[in-house]
Amino acid sequence: MTKVGIPRALLYYQYYPAWKAFFETLGAEVVVSAPTNKAMLNSGVSRAVADTCLPVKILLGHLISLTNDCDYIFVPAVTSLGQKTYNCSKIIGLPNIARALVPESPIILDPEIDLEKGRYYLYRNIYKTGHYFTSNPFKIKRAVEAALERNFAYRRKMPDLGITPTQALNGNEDKDLDYRQGSEGSMRIAVIGHPYVLYDDYINHNLISQLQSMGAKVFVPEMVPGYMLDVATTRLAGEAHWSFENDIIGAGEYYLEQKVDGIVNLSVFGCGPDSMMVKFLEHRAKEVKVPFLPLSIDEHSSEGALLTRLEAFVDMVKRREKLCV
Amino acid sequence: MRVGFPHFGSVYITVKAVADRLDAAGDQLIIPPPMTQKTLDLGVKYSPAEACLPYKLTLGSLIEACELGADILIQARGTGICRLGYYAKDQEQMLRDLGYNARFVNLDVSEHKIRSLRQLIKDLTHDAPLSKTISAVFFGLSKLFALDKIEKVVQKTRAVELDKGEANQIYHEAINAMDEAAEHKEVKKITREYIERLNRVPINRTANPPKVGIFGEIYVVIEPFANMDIEVELGKLGVEVHRTMTLSRWVKYSLFLNYLGINEWREVHKLAKPYVDHDVGGDGWESVGEKVLYAHNGYDGVVHIAPFTCMPEIVAQNVMRSTREDIPVFVLISDEQMGKQGMLTRLEAFVDLLEFRRGNGKRI
Repeated sequence: MTKVGIPRALLYYQYYPAWKAFFETLGAEVVVSAPTNKAMLNSGVSRAVADTCLPVKILLGHLISLTNDCDYIFVPAVTSLGQKTYNCSKIIGLPNIARALVPESPIILDPEIDLEKGRYYLYRNIYKTGHYFTSNPFKIKRAVEAALERNFAYRRKMPDLGITPTQALNGNEDKDLDYRQGSEGSMRIAVIGHPYVLYDDYINHNLISQLQSMGAKVFVPEMVPGYMLDVATTRLAGEAHWSFENDIIGAGEYYLEQKVDGIVNLSVFGCGPDSMMVKFLEHRAKEVKVPFLPLSIDEHSSEGALLTRLEAFVDMVKRREKLCV
Repeated sequence: MRVGFPHFGSVYITVKAVADRLDAAGDQLIIPPPMTQKTLDLGVKYSPAEACLPYKLTLGSLIEACELGADILIQARGTGICRLGYYAKDQEQMLRDLGYNARFVNLDVSEHKIRSLRQLIKDLTHDAPLSKTISAVFFGLSKLFALDKIEKVVQKTRAVELDKGEANQIYHEAINAMDEAAEHKEVKKITREYIERLNRVPINRTANPPKVGIFGEIYVVIEPFANMDIEVELGKLGVEVHRTMTLSRWVKYSLFLNYLGINEWREVHKLAKPYVDHDVGGDGWESVGEKVLYAHNGYDGVVHIAPFTCMPEIVAQNVMRSTREDIPVFVLISDEQMGKQGMLTRLEAFVDLLEFRRGNGKRI
């Protein structure tokens, strides 16, 4: 059976269920790379230009680890997900970077998802990808339908159950219902950041579980229903330009409105969209007097430094609550 | 109404010329002081730490304009992949936080450019008649075109002049003279005069200087302060510089010819196709193509200038390393931490490399 490799990096956390459904309906076997480890990080870092951001370097590491295991590797270029909104250049140029820096990789399937260019362009690109597996257009159509269905289900599951993508992807949903309710009176902390940083436990040093073990109830952007995000983003920053960034700051604004006790922003050093947009959120947090902790990580960040700052932040939030009550 | 704007190359000459021609009663154009370390320091102090250099420099320049009393600020805006789209919005908030009561008016640089320019001028001049606006804009642009024409000659002369610095001196005089010109005729006369003067500069006629192409992100490529006068320094080292990206070219195509379906980058995009097959925002796609183009045109090397953390240029850098074309690339990442001496050392090594590749280097 043809094997399609999907690197466990970048857009994996948002679209993996959909991609899996698509390729499996087409009759291919999906191979996912192992969770990020040191060897992957090092191999990725060694290939890319130093200024490249960490998530792209990690993607390269995953690609390298997949090269011998599959016939194709799927790295789409998600250019635009709506009118006049785009993604970061690095996500748009991802297949090009991958092809240039990992020349030994098997064929890279790189459909360009660009809704700005219209429906026909999208269909053509998906068909081109499907054509590697079957020449039956109806089968490709069925695969797309299955993918869409899975995607909607996946997207809906997270706000409905209040679970993180990691939990949704691993399929352990029952346990998390009571996690969502949590114990009354515990502090509620929203962790804001790109999914590929928040849920890659190797690079963020288990940030979410660290916070939970400090007694916090953690909220992530994926738990906010989609329509709420758009409203919140528009309120905060006017018309929006970057789709993935909108989800993040929209979620931040939503949680500020929900009066969480603190916001932790985890961003990657050198992230272009974050550098502009998180400022709006920080500004708003200052206005409504909610503690805001900006954390920036890269391949050199150490667990100790992160933990120290996190503990200090949590202590501060706890003390604030006592004072207020 | 006092109108301010950030510095960008010799754009201030055009803006001034347009404003002079339209002279709206009671309004004043505020030209911020030339960019210096102070501009950069101001910009860095009040920008998000990870913003890119053009953001910091334009913010610094706008703060300086505000200090001189500007209450309306012109800033570029774009809908696009790059950070430019949010410049105006972020900077407006920052200036408000600093206590300046300035309103932003935006010039759209990614679509509806003509309409946005017309609207901008209309707003700022209390509905100046269209005919007058057009004549003023054309007069302003003629200065831009003339200066770029002179600069092309300067770039050639710098490399081979016997008395280093003479061409640059003349160029600066030309900029000042152009700034003062009030008539089309004068602009033409100055252009002719200075090109003649440049041609009379004593040069080494036997020299065959190495040729280097410059490309990258448009702001840092064109604004000499942002790239630490790299063209002048290359000239001092005896290198002829070629730069496709000029303000006049941008204006010529973006404001006029693109509307007729003429794409100035068609050839460059075609050459970039094997490596990058779609737009990645900013000037990333063009950078890859230009490297290939310069290699095909027999240049000895290229200089790629990008602001630190510039997203499109990082894509370009990563892709550029694996292009088939064999041409040395000098990468200059510009941000507030850069030091000129470090760049000069690297440039000297780069020029030595070019000489060796041509086979006329001195073996040590």
